[in-house]
Amino acid sequence: MRAARSGRGSRALAAALAERRILVVCGSGGVGKTTTAAALALQAALEGRRVLACTIDPARRLATSLGLAALGGRPRALDLSGLEPGARGTLWAMTLDTRRTFDALVEKHASSDAARRRILENRFYQQVSSALAGSHEYMAMEKLLELAADERFDLVVLDTPPTRHALDFLEAPARLMGFLDTSVLRWFLRPYFVAGRLTLKVATRTGAFALDLADRVLGLQFLQDLSEFFLAFEGMYEGFKQRAERVHELLRGEDSGFVLVAGPARATLDEALYFYRRLREKDMPFVGLVVNRVHPDPLAETAPAPRGTADLDPDLARGLLRLMEDQSRVARRERRGIGRLAAEVAGRLVVVPELEADVHDLRGLREVGQMMLGGGGSRPRRKRPAELQAQGRGR
Amino acid sequence: MLLDDLLDRRLVILSGKGGTGKSVVGAALALAAAERGRRVLLAEIDAPLEASRYLGAAPAGSRDTEVRPGLSVVNLDPAAVMDEYVRHAVRVELLARKLLDSPIYRRFFAAAPGLPELMVLGKIMVLEEARAGRFSSRPRYDLIVVDAPATGHGLSLLKVPLAASRAVPVGPVGHHARRVLALLQDAERTALVLVAVPEEMAAVEARELHRAAVEELGITPRALVLNECHERRFTREQEAEIRRLAAAGASGRLAQGVGLRAALSAARRHLRRRKLTQFYLTQLRRSLPLPIVTLPYLFDEDIGPSSIERLARRLEAA
Repeated sequence: MRAARSGRGSRALAAALAERRILVVCGSGGVGKTTTAAALALQAALEGRRVLACTIDPARRLATSLGLAALGGRPRALDLSGLEPGARGTLWAMTLDTRRTFDALVEKHASSDAARRRILENRFYQQVSSALAGSHEYMAMEKLLELAADERFDLVVLDTPPTRHALDFLEAPARLMGFLDTSVLRWFLRPYFVAGRLTLKVATRTGAFALDLADRVLGLQFLQDLSEFFLAFEGMYEGFKQRAERVHELLRGEDSGFVLVAGPARATLDEALYFYRRLREKDMPFVGLVVNRVHPDPLAETAPAPRGTADLDPDLARGLLRLMEDQSRVARRERRGIGRLAAEVAGRLVVVPELEADVHDLRGLREVGQMMLGGGGSRPRRKRPAELQAQGRGR
Repeated sequence: MLLDDLLDRRLVILSGKGGTGKSVVGAALALAAAERGRRVLLAEIDAPLEASRYLGAAPAGSRDTEVRPGLSVVNLDPAAVMDEYVRHAVRVELLARKLLDSPIYRRFFAAAPGLPELMVLGKIMVLEEARAGRFSSRPRYDLIVVDAPATGHGLSLLKVPLAASRAVPVGPVGHHARRVLALLQDAERTALVLVAVPEEMAAVEARELHRAAVEELGITPRALVLNECHERRFTREQEAEIRRLAAAGASGRLAQGVGLRAALSAARRHLRRRKLTQFYLTQLRRSLPLPIVTLPYLFDEDIGPSSIERLARRLEAA
């Protein structure tokens, strides 16, 4: 596993940090995804790039990771001088405010003032845009396009919402495109759904059938609100669709990359593997897998054989041995799981040991970043990132 | 005590950051309740593997299945629940099939915000209302334990009924949403239990979940389960001895092939984790007006039925 830490996985991460323009950091909740994203962003900044770390997690964890009370919806430059005097690069941080992004989108693209008001005042919109699951992913996509085009940044590191199914994020554009597909829209935009015209007789039998079913299942009021909502967006669809396609293209391109993050527990490793396979299926650029918080095996330490028997109270000695056996069992449990994954991802895996303390400041983030790139921290430094950059892309 | 309080409810919803072991806690809680003679349903949402595996059963499907005496498991896959709802609402199989087979329906369901969550909660409500038999007034399940997914805010599942009832005041969707909301807000029937681990992020999120549940949903969480706690394994004197030996750089052989140095660093790791456990436990006790129950970190070869049984006994004793 030590080999993995400074091997292909680290080289692939370092190359991506040096060259790519977008890194999407994905994983299930609670695996240290936000910390990983922030640590990677910081590493790139310390190497001289202008980097934006963007979290879309409404729990605002990046703020905690960066030692800030609250991050606004606008990129904010962080002071790196305390960390490394004369740091060449810059690190910006922000959180994605779903509601504000949605509002801004409407402001920018609505066809007229009346349309803009109709949307912003629509009851459905007011709930949908902020409260409901799924809208975060849509908005992250929109924001990503905007940020990718922002010339202040060389690299955008995007943290993704914690999902049980980490793929939700990846599939949001496809879902959006499916939803905006003309046949679906045509159905919703049928005139009989338009406000006030609900009682009109329905022209076709199929139409009557569909309407009847929809009424029984969802209720006409729901559909009417929904169709009003969609009608209000009229004229914006083409733009939505185009942007969704552009995001898809952007994410598949050479300048983008996906970093998967997992913990050592079996459930999160299984999810990472599933996610990895889906990335491959969709021909998305995989950079590497980071497995965080891996426990050391105290019985596998390869120190020179000690001389002489330690003089110890027998109870304490027994307690210590039991503890070591327990910790070793956990380490072996984790290693089995990681080993299964390593083969599948062709060794592009980085193992980050459990840290002495929680990471919640830049210094801690730097240490994590150095571990991922195969040096620094409490571990012997193996290769400097600068050397790694010279080795070319890790794809 | 915790168990007594929860067993008086109909519904226990576990919520917390991902990686806090909600599924493990859910399985242990369900098992503990079943061992008290309750008929329990453990409901997972769109996660077919975990709870069943922990209980040593085959992966749960979308039909509730008894895996141990008095303990059933179900995996609520939103799409399957929606299909079931359509069949129920349309009644005529042929018509339902026509709707279910239409690509418009599939796409609509995949993208309509909140609808999957609402369907899942609706299904939980239906299960709560289910009777043991056609002429029985006895509920089919005394207790339903829901392992809420750790998406977004952790509360996003629970927020949907409120949002939906505001967005769509009339019609089946609004009606449905209001009934679900009433169930969730009824402290007699429903208990929201937060799950955390003794770590900074999880503790921050637990406090945030508590605040949001009270202020935004009108639900006061009932308890917090602090999972993966590192418990005392050495006496105070032994701990002092460990620190002394480590500081003195003591070495030598502890057993065949095991050095004292490695043992001392293992011990220091343990002491550090224990300190963190104590720190976050104290901090959460001070900041949250909730009973807190601790569960131990598991050193097992594999997290399986025997681990869950041990945790269930701990919940029983809490």
